[in-house]
Amino acid sequence: MSSQQEDGDTHVNVADGIDHQVAMVMDLNKCIGCQTCTIACKSLWTEDGGSEYMYWNNVETKPGEGYPRGWEDSGGGWQSEDHSERQPGEIPSQEDYGRPWEFNHSEIMYEGSDEPLRPREGAEWGPNWDEDQGAGEYPNSYYFYLPRICNHCTHPSCVEACPRSAIYKREEDGIVLVDQDRCRGYRYCVEGCPYKKVYYNTVSKKSEKCIFCYPRIEGEGPEGETFAPACAEECPPQLRLVGFLDDEDGPIYKLVEEYEVALPLHPEFRTQPNVYYIPPYAPPQHTEDGETVDVERIPRQYLRELFGDRVDDALDTIKREKQRARQGDDSELMELLQHKNPAKQYRLEVFEDG
Amino acid sequence: MADRDHRRTVLAAAAVTLLVTLSAVAAPMASARPAHEIPVSPATGDLGEPTADGWDDVPAATVALASAPSSVPNADQTSVERVHVQAARGDGRLYLRLQWQDATRDVSADDPREFADSVAVQFPVNASSRPPIAMGGPDNRVNVWYWSPPTGTEELLAGGAGSTTSFPESSVNASAVHRGSGANATWTVVYTRELDAAGENRTTVPETRDLDVAFAVWNGSNGERSGQKAVSEWHYFPFSGGPEGPPYQALLWSVAGVAIVGVVAVTAFGVHRARGGMR
Repeated sequence: MSSQQEDGDTHVNVADGIDHQVAMVMDLNKCIGCQTCTIACKSLWTEDGGSEYMYWNNVETKPGEGYPRGWEDSGGGWQSEDHSERQPGEIPSQEDYGRPWEFNHSEIMYEGSDEPLRPREGAEWGPNWDEDQGAGEYPNSYYFYLPRICNHCTHPSCVEACPRSAIYKREEDGIVLVDQDRCRGYRYCVEGCPYKKVYYNTVSKKSEKCIFCYPRIEGEGPEGETFAPACAEECPPQLRLVGFLDDEDGPIYKLVEEYEVALPLHPEFRTQPNVYYIPPYAPPQHTEDGETVDVERIPRQYLRELFGDRVDDALDTIKREKQRARQGDDSELMELLQHKNPAKQYRLEVFEDG
Repeated sequence: MADRDHRRTVLAAAAVTLLVTLSAVAAPMASARPAHEIPVSPATGDLGEPTADGWDDVPAATVALASAPSSVPNADQTSVERVHVQAARGDGRLYLRLQWQDATRDVSADDPREFADSVAVQFPVNASSRPPIAMGGPDNRVNVWYWSPPTGTEELLAGGAGSTTSFPESSVNASAVHRGSGANATWTVVYTRELDAAGENRTTVPETRDLDVAFAVWNGSNGERSGQKAVSEWHYFPFSGGPEGPPYQALLWSVAGVAIVGVVAVTAFGVHRARGGMR
């Protein structure tokens, strides 16, 4: 584990040499799979040549193959908790990412074709190919959406993988960035990230990734305003909280450290992500007649595979606090999960004077 | 009977001695060049292109390559074992031609899993001292002439592994051709540069002093990049002129030859004595 901060103003373990750690909590119960976050990110950062296939933010359906296909089995991360040996990883194939498709627009628009609008060829896989497919049998089929960005990990194996230190965790807020002047396109970071959230730009021949919209959080808006990352601000159901993990007065600290209901994805990769998820609590199963039965719709074991064994306690805590609120008692946790006040949802200026 | 034995022993000893002596003398005659020296010819004919006729008259040195020690994954899995090097100097320029066998022509890095073939020549920035072979050191930097199909020629500066930095503009030209097919397919790359290319941290090719040089080759389709590369030891261009220093190889062979002759003679003598003693 990383050392505690020396100034003692926090109980949170941030990475060595990092002042504060940006973090995000995503409530999976609020995600409607609309991909507005995906498009907000894409239109800001990945529209140039060579980045067409990249989605720094993507929303995938779980259970499902995800993006890139099969990323959960592609290796990367660390072999043990002491972060001394990295786990070997693979670079996903272009097919597993999916290629941008060519559509028959010109035939339909200009040549009078009666064909339906469709990709010309090669449409055999792509991001969200298995969208809404999920698992289970009617009437107890199930799925949920999983929005994913770079986790800006406390122990980033992508950073360790680079022989040139071209990818680094920046001191002021722990955002993981690729120095485009240093990168030589070796792609060890691509194979080293177990979440496959570093991408190789086929035109610039360098690697790229989510930058946590750092120009926005640094206040580089037209009026000098500070904005949360575009994926968070543009989200219609506002499912993302943005702030610092070591901001003990913020909702992220409370959800992650106090209530322990916000959990990292695949903790067994041992990179210690700083994006956290409120696990989905689906309604129970039904009989064919529509009667509710006391069986969980999303198999608990599947959630353990995604979020680790702590998901049991997290779901128990949420269930207990829900019950309290239902009975009319105060529940700070339910307040936090329902907050709609943007000032509290995005807390990015707390350390500016520090 | 004993006499015949005696004669046979002496004859055999003489034959072995002759053979060993001959091979010890013949080996240095075949390559009288000092080990690690790469001959440099005067640049007379056309040498600007990989297939230019002028290269027919330039002697080649075969340089052995081995996987570079490196912490990157699969560092020990490299595929190129030798590179043939020709060098010529004249008209104020240094010409280098490198040839190596590579069955696959990997010229693109347009796919996430694609890596291109590459080659590099390394010189000390300061020709008067020999830097650490692995990309030099912080106080003893190296100049690298790097060529790869997608990026073309790059001139690099490095002061240790991971410190490689590109010059804003390359003073080196390179052109390359991949010919043949199957196991015999060969890359041929020609580098040329002015002997005295102006610029800080650029190796000046010395006129009266030997110049250290080392080589690296990457096979793209084997996933080779960065520290996963086949590299040589330091070699040198004998620019110091005059007598070419002690011919180490010949010297070593002579010492080995004398030693072997000695051992054979002593053995033969011992055998002879032992037989005599038994009688």
